[in-house]
Amino acid sequence: MAFIAAFIWCYILWLGLTAGSSGLLWSSEELIAGLLFSAVVAYTTKGIIGEKASRFLNPIKWLEFIVYSIGPLFLGMVKANFHVAWLVITGKIRPGIVRVPVDLENDAQYTILSNSITLTPGTLTIDACPEEKALYVHWIDIPEGLERPENSEPVSGSFEKWARRLGR
Amino acid sequence: MGLIVKTTARAIIPLIGIFGTYIVVHGHLTPGGGFQGGATIAGAGILFLVAFGLDEMKEQYNKSLYSALEGIGGLTFLGVAMLGMGVAFFYNTLWHNGPFFNGQPGTLLSAGYLPIMNLAVGLKVFTGLVSALTTIALYRRWKS
Repeated sequence: MAFIAAFIWCYILWLGLTAGSSGLLWSSEELIAGLLFSAVVAYTTKGIIGEKASRFLNPIKWLEFIVYSIGPLFLGMVKANFHVAWLVITGKIRPGIVRVPVDLENDAQYTILSNSITLTPGTLTIDACPEEKALYVHWIDIPEGLERPENSEPVSGSFEKWARRLGR
Repeated sequence: MGLIVKTTARAIIPLIGIFGTYIVVHGHLTPGGGFQGGATIAGAGILFLVAFGLDEMKEQYNKSLYSALEGIGGLTFLGVAMLGMGVAFFYNTLWHNGPFFNGQPGTLLSAGYLPIMNLAVGLKVFTGLVSALTTIALYRRWKS
């Protein structure tokens, strides 16, 4: 299964790279070469990508990723950018590192949540600790009384719910 | 390295591998070629070494295999250069009258022996760079 996941991931990338070799589509020799070299790369990396990677082959999950990246993530990035621009103009900041307890199970969920937090300006993930189920986040403007948040809601909004769903 | 680096490396290493292979295979059509693509793929190997650490690399890295593959890369280059020996060394006989690799210029299967040589150089550069960097990482200890 790990081989199939790596192979499909590689082949999609190959198709993306070689699009346009015959009109707007692919010439047959590019398709065959893609099969061949994707198989080689997938065979060598099947131990790295991991056995559980095949759960990302689910098309429903791709749809959820697209919805997440153009919906909540993009919106959050735009809002947070304007917020940071405001902080730069006014200069009123209250920086610090906060420990955010999260309720996630696997590596992919931690990675998605950490990257989403880092992509929205004003917050930056320092470290993810799965053993204590917490993230350490550098926050540029901690609101009063939120130095020890109970959950990730004040730091990242709805991102934790999405990360739990996407990485499952 | 931490959890996030490891998980990202799991997704990124096949990506770097296939992109480097793309550079090698299209060496006669687009910028790049054997050395550039091979160095790109070696970057994936070094990312593995940095992200997962030396102990994991020791299990995955096989000295004899990499040594043999580097030799095969060099020998393939030499063998393809000898193909047109009836006329001259490095005579591109595959392009002039060969059975394959003589398609319409601009397509994948054109340019005679160049794609094969690019693959050979890519293999040699990848295995050579990964071997060199792993050897440096394995160097005995900090003091003496």
